[in-house]
Amino acid sequence: MLAVVWLGGLTFLAIFANWLPFVRRYNEFPKGPGARKLVAYRGKPSSDYWFGTDKLGRDTFARCIYAAQKTLVIGAASIVAALVIGGLLGMLAGYFRGWYDRVLTVMFDVLLAFPAIVLALIVVGRFFASGDLNLGLFTMEKRFFGVILVLTVLSIAPLARIVRAQTMSLAQREYVLAARGLGAGNLRVLVREILPNLLPAMFSVAFTGLAVLLVAEGGLAFLGFSVQLPFPTWGFMINEARPDIVKGGGWAVFFPCTMLFLTVLSFNVLGDRVARRFDIREATL
Amino acid sequence: MSEMDTRPDEGTLLDVRNLKTHFATARGVVRAVDGVSFTLERGAALGIVGESGSGKTVLARSIMGLLPPRGVHREGEVFFAGTDLRRLDAKQMRRYWGKQMSMIFQDPMTSLNPLMTIGNQIAEPLRVHLGSDKAEARAVALRLLTDVGIPEPEKRLDQYPHELSGGMRQRAMIAIALACGPTLLFADEPTTALDVTVQAQILELIATQRRDRNMSVILVTHDLGVVAGHTDSIIVMYAGQIVESAPTRSLFRSMRHPYTEALMRSIPQLDQPSHTRLLAIGGRPPDLINPPEGCRFAPRCPYAEERCLQEAPTHQSDTPGHSFACWNPVGSPTWAARQHSTTGSAAT
Amino acid sequence: MRYLLQRLLQLVVVFLIVTFVAMVAIQGASRDPARDLAGPLSSNEERVEQIRQQYHLDRAYPIRYAYWLKNIVTLDLGTSPTNNLEVRTLIGQRAPVTLLLGLYAILFALLIAVPVAVYSAYRRDGPFDRIVSGATFAIVSLPNIILAVLLGYFFATKWRIFTYAASKIWPWDNPVLHVKNFALPTIVLGLGLSAIFVRLLRADLVNTLQSDFIVMARAKGLSPRRILWRHALRSSLFSLMTSVALQFGGILGGAVVVEQIYALPGMGLLLFQAVQTKDLLVVQACAALFALAVVLVNFVVDLLYAVVDPRIRHARALG
Repeated sequence: MLAVVWLGGLTFLAIFANWLPFVRRYNEFPKGPGARKLVAYRGKPSSDYWFGTDKLGRDTFARCIYAAQKTLVIGAASIVAALVIGGLLGMLAGYFRGWYDRVLTVMFDVLLAFPAIVLALIVVGRFFASGDLNLGLFTMEKRFFGVILVLTVLSIAPLARIVRAQTMSLAQREYVLAARGLGAGNLRVLVREILPNLLPAMFSVAFTGLAVLLVAEGGLAFLGFSVQLPFPTWGFMINEARPDIVKGGGWAVFFPCTMLFLTVLSFNVLGDRVARRFDIREATL
Repeated sequence: MSEMDTRPDEGTLLDVRNLKTHFATARGVVRAVDGVSFTLERGAALGIVGESGSGKTVLARSIMGLLPPRGVHREGEVFFAGTDLRRLDAKQMRRYWGKQMSMIFQDPMTSLNPLMTIGNQIAEPLRVHLGSDKAEARAVALRLLTDVGIPEPEKRLDQYPHELSGGMRQRAMIAIALACGPTLLFADEPTTALDVTVQAQILELIATQRRDRNMSVILVTHDLGVVAGHTDSIIVMYAGQIVESAPTRSLFRSMRHPYTEALMRSIPQLDQPSHTRLLAIGGRPPDLINPPEGCRFAPRCPYAEERCLQEAPTHQSDTPGHSFACWNPVGSPTWAARQHSTTGSAAT
Repeated sequence: MRYLLQRLLQLVVVFLIVTFVAMVAIQGASRDPARDLAGPLSSNEERVEQIRQQYHLDRAYPIRYAYWLKNIVTLDLGTSPTNNLEVRTLIGQRAPVTLLLGLYAILFALLIAVPVAVYSAYRRDGPFDRIVSGATFAIVSLPNIILAVLLGYFFATKWRIFTYAASKIWPWDNPVLHVKNFALPTIVLGLGLSAIFVRLLRADLVNTLQSDFIVMARAKGLSPRRILWRHALRSSLFSLMTSVALQFGGILGGAVVVEQIYALPGMGLLLFQAVQTKDLLVVQACAALFALAVVLVNFVVDLLYAVVDPRIRHARALG
């Protein structure tokens, strides 16, 4: 499907960006005598600069690709982390019910009541304003980590809820009861009976959730609360190029917008298809 | 067949001619009702009996016209008081529904709107069809509730369906159906969802209302016991067709079709010794997409012969009013011969 | 009655936890809250110390929180160093704008979504339904920012129909200008919402329309319009209400972005600026207000459940 093509292509470019000859280094300014001429506000697409340039003459195409890198990593990391944590919690709550369930539900309520932006702004804005974070294995920008952290935390509650609901319905099914009747311990049942059946739902939610997170990250980046220079994500690029619209520099806004939109759309479509394939009741994130 | 009688209180109310209802599905065209004809007089009660899948419910809805808007193909004629209902569009039909013909359904819990008071639900057809205002409608609703035998009707008017018991809900549904004084009432499995004791009461109620209002009733059910005491005539359906039709007494006294016989046998009788094996009818109902060439019951019939499988039997009648479609009906020589060689159909 | 009190208690607890966590996060994030709060006077040691005393910043968190709570009750939210205004004044100015925006957005969304969803469900799989389905899918995938920028470009810059807001104008001051200011933000927020609502409502309606009581309603001879609006819709209101409650947090978030783009002086913008200028008390107050709003909305929706569905009303009455 188209969505897969788009995403596949994007991922490919993103991963191999550094090695591809036609993707220029994002922060490369045109040099040489003809440089001034090239650096036009309009930055229209040309054969040399596929997506045109931004107001500082940097290649928009390249920047988009690098933004893709960042965005996809952020999104993937967040959703995976949230799925693991949220999924685990949700499964436990749905399966064991009783005490665990009540405590967890209250926790979820708290998380959900927390105004998301506040958390985002606070965490990213204050905690990880600048500088790098050394985690032993690999260093990364503090901001990068902050954004992932925030997105993860915010996704846990909705994901956990969905997983909990699915677990509760699965736990009633005959084969689970059968397994327990055969003397299977709880852990075994969880891992071998319930988990595999949760997977389709989790995939669907993962894709749709990823789409939502991308939108959220876009919003944050737009406000300046995501990774910035010199590796911005699409949201930031949009904001950056905004004043240019008036002067006719719409292209620099158009491309990041389109890329963001198409990517989000693709993930939504994927999530939707998976859900329909496995006949999962629609859940809202 | 008959001329339409214009005298208001007597004569043929309903004249169904070769009605067919086919549904277009992914797997093919399902011929749920495949050529049904019968008549019904005013004030008379007709029972339509058959197992699930026989097409009885579809028949009732088909006559009334209450079918899904798409994927349905109807043929034949349905004359109601002289008008062919088949030719009317939805808008015109709506003037009949609830006013001249109404239906009560199997499960009163799900058929009543859980978010509306009983009073409002009864008043609704009154206000829509008869133009009553709120006060009038409420008064009539109150009277109806009393008529159907619901205690404390004043209180019930403002209650919601979930506050009533199963029997009362069914009564309420009857009240709704009777609100505008219809001439024809369809009762689709009205007692299936109820306790046995309540069943009898409901059937009695329908019978009383029929008499008092000179209303015709069509009782659709799989339960022969239900139609036994409360109908004037019965139609037995199988695989979308009528296999036997007769006045009630005649049917029970001298049934002719093997299917009818099998149905009778599967009801426990009080005068049989206990532990008498109930005879279930072996096999399954035929595929309605590709019904068999010959008699549709033949594959399961204990008296079937070659001819039955090849040729679809035509309707015959040896007593007036009693017709059946079978080559070896109960009581015929061929049937008697078979009787000795088989000891009844095997169970399961 | 008892149920309501229980629920209220639950929500109060949630509110307390949320605001406490927020406070810890906000204040814990800066190395020296007192210095931040001193703002332009941060080099003035005396002033810093004074602030530290005033807001009890030298004590442990729970104690700070207790004081903060006490202050809240008397509506004393502190003073913002940035403009030397009392926080509550600031909020008083900005909150109504965001409130109005949120209200408009929800109304706009409902006004569009309900008829569209009803007609879509009625003529299921028809041309209208298909188009709507595709459109909503696309809109849901369209991030706020893109829509806002796009609309802003076309309507404000190019065609000059609406404006970028300069200052808040009450509807009674100058209706035309008010509409001009609020139109674009409302549309941006509302459109996304309406897409979500349409999808949800349509699915629920399609489900409801297959219920037995709908067949019965048909058998009563009621017109499709009556059946749709009086019988089917009532049943499906549930999921819609739940959705409104769930989306509320998202609306607030969207407000932040939208206010930024259109320079609408509301809470969102305030929060944004406060975070950047390290105006801790304002941030805290904003967080508290948002949490309060979410909690209130949830409570109200919960109440409404009982109003809409008599079964729930009775179940709760029985305790």
